[in-house]
Amino acid sequence: MSDDMLRAPAEVKYAEELDYLESIDDGPKPFSWRLSPRMIRMFVLGSERADGIDREIPQKWFGDRSFVERSIVTLASDRGLLLIGDPGTGKSWLAELLSAAICRNSTLVVQGTAGTTEDHIKYSWNVSMVIAKGQSRESMIPSPIMTAMEGGVIGRFEELTRSTSDVQDALISILSEKYVSIPELDDDNIVFAQPGFSIIATANSRDRGVNDLSSALKRRFNFVRIPVVTNKKSEAEIVRFRTEELLRRHRIELDLPPTLLDILLQSFADLRSAASSATSDDDKLESALSTAEQIGVLEDAILHSHFFGDRVLRAQTLAGSLVGSLARRSPEDLAILNKYWHGVVEPRSKKDGGEWPEFLEGGREAIATLS
Amino acid sequence: MIDQPSPFGSLREQLLGAAEQFAEGPVAVSGILSGLVDDVDRALREELEIFPVCHHSPASALAMVRRLREKQPKVIYLELCEDLQPLLTELRNCRLPVALQAFATDIDGFPKSWAPLSVVAPITEASAEYQAISYALETPGVELVLVDRSTDHVFQWAPGEEPQTAAKEEEAGLHGDAVGVEIGDLRPRFAELEEHLLHHGKVRHWSEWWDQYVEQPLSGADYETYRQVMVLIGSLFRRLGPGGGRLAVDEDRERYMWTRMREHLSASGADAADCLYVCGAFHAASHVEQFGVRSEAPFEISPRTGTKWLYGLIPSSHSAIEAQFGLAPGSVSIAAATWSKALTRGKLTPFQLQGQKGARKRPAKLPAPVPQGDVADKLTGFLSSPPALDALDEAELLGWSVDIVRLARRNGYLASTADAIAVYETSILLAGMRNRARPTPYDFQDAAVTCIEKDSVPGRRDVRRLCEILLGGDRVGEVGYDALPPLARNVYDRLAPLGLDLEKRTIQRALLNLQAEPDLVPCSDLLWMLRHLLPSDAVRPIMGERKLGERSIQESWDLSFGKHQRSIIELGYEGVTIEQVLEQRLRRKVWDQKATAAVALAAVEDAILFLGSRRFADELGARAVELLAAERTVDDAPEVLRRIRRLMAYYRSAEPELPAWCEAFATSGYAHYCTLLPTAFVDDDTGVRQVSAMLGFLFSMESLALALGCDRAQLELAVQQSHPEAPAKVALLWAARHQLGLLPLAELRSRADELLANPLVIPSFPQYIIGFVQAMEPVPQLSGFVVEVISKAFGRLPDGVLLPWLPKLITTLREGAAELVPVLVREAGRTFPGSLTAADTWTPPWESRPQPASAAGAAPMASGPVAELLLAHPAACDAVAGVLGCAGEWAAPGAGPADGHPEVSALLDGHPEAALALAGLLS
Ligand SMILES: Nc1ncnc2c1ncn2[C@@H]1O[C@H](COP(=O)(O)OP(=O)(O)OP(=O)(O)O)[C@@H](O)[C@H]1O
Ligand SMILES: [Mg+2]
Repeated sequence: MSDDMLRAPAEVKYAEELDYLESIDDGPKPFSWRLSPRMIRMFVLGSERADGIDREIPQKWFGDRSFVERSIVTLASDRGLLLIGDPGTGKSWLAELLSAAICRNSTLVVQGTAGTTEDHIKYSWNVSMVIAKGQSRESMIPSPIMTAMEGGVIGRFEELTRSTSDVQDALISILSEKYVSIPELDDDNIVFAQPGFSIIATANSRDRGVNDLSSALKRRFNFVRIPVVTNKKSEAEIVRFRTEELLRRHRIELDLPPTLLDILLQSFADLRSAASSATSDDDKLESALSTAEQIGVLEDAILHSHFFGDRVLRAQTLAGSLVGSLARRSPEDLAILNKYWHGVVEPRSKKDGGEWPEFLEGGREAIATLS
Repeated sequence: MIDQPSPFGSLREQLLGAAEQFAEGPVAVSGILSGLVDDVDRALREELEIFPVCHHSPASALAMVRRLREKQPKVIYLELCEDLQPLLTELRNCRLPVALQAFATDIDGFPKSWAPLSVVAPITEASAEYQAISYALETPGVELVLVDRSTDHVFQWAPGEEPQTAAKEEEAGLHGDAVGVEIGDLRPRFAELEEHLLHHGKVRHWSEWWDQYVEQPLSGADYETYRQVMVLIGSLFRRLGPGGGRLAVDEDRERYMWTRMREHLSASGADAADCLYVCGAFHAASHVEQFGVRSEAPFEISPRTGTKWLYGLIPSSHSAIEAQFGLAPGSVSIAAATWSKALTRGKLTPFQLQGQKGARKRPAKLPAPVPQGDVADKLTGFLSSPPALDALDEAELLGWSVDIVRLARRNGYLASTADAIAVYETSILLAGMRNRARPTPYDFQDAAVTCIEKDSVPGRRDVRRLCEILLGGDRVGEVGYDALPPLARNVYDRLAPLGLDLEKRTIQRALLNLQAEPDLVPCSDLLWMLRHLLPSDAVRPIMGERKLGERSIQESWDLSFGKHQRSIIELGYEGVTIEQVLEQRLRRKVWDQKATAAVALAAVEDAILFLGSRRFADELGARAVELLAAERTVDDAPEVLRRIRRLMAYYRSAEPELPAWCEAFATSGYAHYCTLLPTAFVDDDTGVRQVSAMLGFLFSMESLALALGCDRAQLELAVQQSHPEAPAKVALLWAARHQLGLLPLAELRSRADELLANPLVIPSFPQYIIGFVQAMEPVPQLSGFVVEVISKAFGRLPDGVLLPWLPKLITTLREGAAELVPVLVREAGRTFPGSLTAADTWTPPWESRPQPASAAGAAPMASGPVAELLLAHPAACDAVAGVLGCAGEWAAPGAGPADGHPEVSALLDGHPEAALALAGLLS
């Protein structure tokens, strides 16, 4: 099945692994969970030899162990989980992994936007059916959250802070009373949440202030703050992990030379430190330079070399993609990149050699083309 | 080993895993494993009983209490610098944690740049060493012997480079820049091993690893198990650790300790069986030849250097210890909490020094010692019994959960009972997930953060910090009066009249009404000295000032001695009284290689203000003269000028005559600055401000210098030799020439007007203005002219030139705000109209000047002998007019007898000296 989808949800992609874990899991499971908390942790963070299982479970989310533990434990309690952090820190990905592991369903997602209404988290009506048969449970379209309640599984709410306060208020009653009533119906008009229902929401800390959460809603969520990965080693792991997945998805046979990965990580690290010492916004790239952004650059470079190049990833292509994805504002971003190329890449290419000279060349060309 | 679930199962796995990871190949692993067994065996069989400890391990402290009660040794050998021994009894006067300190400023045998040398050894109450110390000092007939290398050897054996230190803050900085030594340092010796253990142990930091894998399983263990486990860990870290300098030092220490112990045994005739050797587990697994009482391997202990060491106690704190030894924040507090819980649980009475703050009145009698059994393999038996979970833990966790919610509320969180329940549940869930039998403080902390922390921290402290506070918080020690050095005691004694409790850690407010209570004057004097010597928030004047020639009659002070006890104690290493320390410091400052005249003048001022000793101030002043003469740059000229003016003003008002050094300073300064003036005018690196200060010095000291024999020609020559090119300095030079009478005001004005009229120089005109503004300092009578020039500039300069330069003008004025601005403003106030209506009809005086000038011309020309005299001998008048800035022309004599009084002219013609001298003086 996963072959037919552009991007399979985690429970499909890792179905076999989840089956395996379920088969060896003898730990106690809360509610109707499919796996015990420890197995979920292993699914997300990967196995170790000391865990004594016969196959290796790869790590899927990279970050401090305690974040994962705290998240799992929160879901086993009666509070919702709110993952909060900078863009691109893997919040949505962690939410997906957790729901996949807990209930094998990570697709009950509501996307929070300014246009999200109460209907999106409760229910709406199939108008033609209502006209034909009147209002009934049949003609009602439950929202993903309501579906999750009925099934006793995890519902997800992306970008919670972007939705308006009406929507947030509706969520309060769902989280505290754990039922939704349908006043339009005369009977069978209450949907109760089954045990195991909970919500994983994500919020972007840069959005704070857009629609601040009410304290009533805050109280019903445990907050787990996911920081930006600054450790180069784990960042490398994330990038490699995601890119390999991407290659698999596009069925691309291509080597990712470790030296190029190093160059990518190094240049992001340089640009980040430049950004943090910049005094005005004009001296700072518009991009947040997150891990996700790095993945984006690499992805672009890979696709480019695969479809337009000679199927080998070259430093030159990487440089081109990096410039292309980071130069969003002309001339500010271009000027910053140009400065970086002259001030940092050039000396480094003289000193370190390796792939750097080619990277230097590629970047120069790309900057020249764009300016 | 056995394959049953056991408290040590996971520790074994951890250690085995580490051995496999870091040993090279399977052969090496088995080598290491058998080596571990050998090490444990050897340490436990040693005739002199070895007690392996780990720092901040409640398990170590507990085992120590039990063992001491059981064995009641006669001699205790302790791994601690031997020269710290005399300090130990002083611990009685302190509230722990405090640190034993050795301090040296007077160094001999080490690179000078290392000074001051400072070593601290913190002692906490929850430590095995404190138990051993208390037992030994409180039990009659027991001897305590410190056997580790002296503090001098700490530096002798230090690797070549300077001992490094890092900046810390507040409580964490209690130890200052000292090098820390600790008993029982037991931690992986290289980062990869620690990382490996943390990663595989699924914990965040070392303290948590230790707590989970060693501390908890050991909490109920018996002595033999305890020793075996500790030596095992010590041995593994030793075997996996890198060799190199640090290990070499450790081995030397082991040789040192065993040599000292053997020396003591043979000298005292003590039976090794009655002794106990307390050392870090790392050293228990030592391989040096000198190991064991039976060893005969020699070791020569090198003599100490000539460095003079001073000893004392300084306050310490949990956070200072954590910062110094790289432990996770809160871990020492958590260890202390675990220790007191374990005492309650085990119904144990710890040993405590008499007199210790908070100590029980009389020590409990020790029961009879228990005879020593055989060393058996207790590990096996213990491994199969799971740890007992008791009600105490549950109640404790509940208590914590309730308390943290209360604490959080007090700190602005919207936490409720529901949160308390959630924290409790979450702690248990987390512990379960982390494979722990019961939640540790770390689980609790994580749970509290999860359930209470939201998107922002409402108050000053976040939940993590609140948990640390709840679990014991930082404890800050205090050194009691009797254990203080003489200087510190002296300070407290002399401040006693203030009637404040200066040992309190909170800020104390002292109010001194010096008029009503003149006996508080000495306190005030002392406070001003302390203000000078201590960190600024230790002693802060809120009201009152002490300046040259000024004393307040009322003062109020914020005193925070409790918090800054260390600083006071460390002053005590420098001398016996504050006065002595201050005098030494000032002396050191002016004799330093980098000292400048400005520094020396500042020292003179301090000496007058704080020490009131004329003799000493003169000594420092004489040094200032020397320093000035030797200076090759004039960077400090503004500072020198400011200070010497202030000092002279003070001496003139307070003393009958200037001290000799002041006179010497004036004359040698006059010659010095004259010599440097031409270079300073052309040198690009010398600022306008510096040159202006030099001129200021020359002009204002002139009369004094000339009176003392200097030659004015020197100054004139210097000015004539100056040929600046930078516009600002050109302006300054003009002003100087004007001051010397070489350039009348009228000419100065016309030069300025020319500049303004010349489009080629207009862009640099603002620079001239800067020069003129600076010139107000040395030539204050020019201020009217400066207002004029500025007004003209604002009126005539194009915006394109004016605007970019404004900020520069403002910063220039700001630098000299104290001197320049008031003059300028006063002058401007005099020049410009005071009201709006007046402004309409106002013409600037310099534009209306021709009229009064012509009016004066129109005035009837007086005639008579005076007019004739002046007409015939105009030099003196011209000179006066030049100085006053009046332009004018000699009018033809009015009607009147031309030769009315020929006798006067005849007199002057005959004796022109007086008139010529007056003219000469004025021009
Ligand atoms: N710590 C991480 N572990 C694994 N993958 C990560 C991690 N951080 C980022 N990624 C990868 O980066 C990409 C973006 O992550 P994701 O969409 O989850 O970010 P987000 O935090 O939800 O961002 P936003 O706030 O913009 O929604 C994902 O493909 C994810 O796999
Ligand atoms: Mg997202």
